[in-house]
Amino acid sequence: MPNTESKGLLIFFYFCIAIFSLICLVPFVLAVSGSLSTESRIAAEGYSFWPRGFTLETYEFLFGSKAQQILQAYSMSVIVTVLGTVSAVLVTTAYAYVISVKGFRLKNFFAFFAYFTMLFSGGTLPWYLLSTKYYHLGDTLLGLFVPYLLSVFLMFLMANYFRSIPHEIVESAQIDGAGHLRIFFSIMVPLGRVGLVTISLFYALQFWNDFYLPLMLVSDQELYTIQYLMYNMMANIQFLASGNAAQVGGAIIAPPLETAKMAMTCLTVLPIAVLYPFLQRFFVKGIVVGSVKG
Amino acid sequence: MMQDAIPEKARRQVLKTGTARTRSYRNSLKKDSSLYLLALPGIIVLILFAYLPMSGLILVFKNYNFNDGIFGSPWAGFSNFEFFFSSMEDALRATRNTVILNALYMLTGTFFSVAIAIILNELRSKWFIKVTQSVMFFPYFISWIIIGAILFSLLDYDKGIFNQLLTTLGWGQVDWYSSPWLFVIILVLANIWKSAGYGAIIYYAVLQGVDTSYYEAAKIDGASRWQIITKITLPMLIPSIILMSLLNIGGMLKGDLSMIMGVTFLNPLLLPTTDIIDVYVYRTAIRSGEFGFASAITLYQSVFGFILVLAANKLAGWYDKDSKLF
Repeated sequence: MPNTESKGLLIFFYFCIAIFSLICLVPFVLAVSGSLSTESRIAAEGYSFWPRGFTLETYEFLFGSKAQQILQAYSMSVIVTVLGTVSAVLVTTAYAYVISVKGFRLKNFFAFFAYFTMLFSGGTLPWYLLSTKYYHLGDTLLGLFVPYLLSVFLMFLMANYFRSIPHEIVESAQIDGAGHLRIFFSIMVPLGRVGLVTISLFYALQFWNDFYLPLMLVSDQELYTIQYLMYNMMANIQFLASGNAAQVGGAIIAPPLETAKMAMTCLTVLPIAVLYPFLQRFFVKGIVVGSVKG
Repeated sequence: MMQDAIPEKARRQVLKTGTARTRSYRNSLKKDSSLYLLALPGIIVLILFAYLPMSGLILVFKNYNFNDGIFGSPWAGFSNFEFFFSSMEDALRATRNTVILNALYMLTGTFFSVAIAIILNELRSKWFIKVTQSVMFFPYFISWIIIGAILFSLLDYDKGIFNQLLTTLGWGQVDWYSSPWLFVIILVLANIWKSAGYGAIIYYAVLQGVDTSYYEAAKIDGASRWQIITKITLPMLIPSIILMSLLNIGGMLKGDLSMIMGVTFLNPLLLPTTDIIDVYVYRTAIRSGEFGFASAITLYQSVFGFILVLAANKLAGWYDKDSKLF
């Protein structure tokens, strides 16, 4: 499409994109390098992009003394992600199917019923009070995923996929006597699997990264997810760093805090980084369908 | 962030109110019963976590106590509003911060996303586009808490990379975590870093759908690369930019609590610029238990946000009828 003239501009464009891509990756290098440095050298010389005094001590420390806590939080994150994703995908696709059924008289109502929640909300506070006092979700496993079971945006995305499935298939199934449940589970779900994979990934990511729900609803250490454990650790370090700790009292133990933070960062990002190359194209496909179609 | 785009079709679906078909109600109830069954879990989730909390807004008129709960607590008339207006300063600060931060996120985020998409559209090397696109998209997958941890290693007073660099250059260190106004820039940059790649994919996808004959015609007419960008590519993106902005304006009074928590840890020194409404509600209500007061803020946030959506929608209607949300 573009002209061959103004080569300079084109080179400049390549340069811009390359720089921004680098900036997107460099902070992670910093985290890995920090986790492989020794605590004393970080304390004395600060962070760097190359490990200061290369060592695996921090990981040994984490897997030694903190192993129990970290494994607990890690497995809690995995449980929440798996349970959350599976149930959210079920709830979402079922709802999406309903509003995509041709000729269903209430489909517009149901669509608006979901859409309206994007426009207007009761806010954090009533949500919090209802969840803790009336639904009793505080300090429960359910509280860590149930509030997120229906993302309206992903529901509309899924409905779009269902609408793209040729109506004739549904019609012929109806003539053969299939009901909506049958059509949903044995036709729509298998045929909409690209959409299904997309929204599953978005949900999985959301559940893995979430620390809002534990922040609001959890105080029991056994229910800490890895993100929330990380949050607590960071908040404590800030507390120590801000000087407030002076009043708390003398016995400041010196675990490798700085490097541990970086090691935790790496551990938390690791699953995403490992799966990302394989899954990335589904996300892209999902966004493209969601934004362009229609 | 996932709520950035509502599929076009779904919006149209929402527009068409009133059903053309008038079937016998009982007949359709029987035929469609399995549909209600399928929708039921979703309806329950929406009612529990979206609609019932809306009714919780009556808290504004209540003197909340934990034992009697939302609906049992005694009525308080307008005293919460009096309280709200008496500590107007904090509420206004929170509103100002929310609006400023969101406006900055929106402007810079859109600018960078669009710029990246346009540049990608000019590049020819397929593998370069693929690789850089994946790389730029990656930060979108990282939680704010992790970004906060990494930022700390960049910004820490003694150990941070930035200050090391500044010292080497002989400029002295900056105390980022106690400079509220400097930190606004940090937040804006962090937001660009996390979401520009994601936004760029959306706009790039739109550009991929553009009819190539426009470009061919322009080339024959001898248009320069820059002319093609400003006269064809950019105008093609404008409807999507408007749609995205509209959706964002509705959320103008909604702050990202996870972002502020993850990046600043509610550092009191930064509150002058980072105390957004959601943070304010969290601090006054969930931490200090001033429920009636906090719900007055929440109500104000919701109503004002709703008005903003309606206004933005109207505005878009003036510009172009098809750009309207509803």
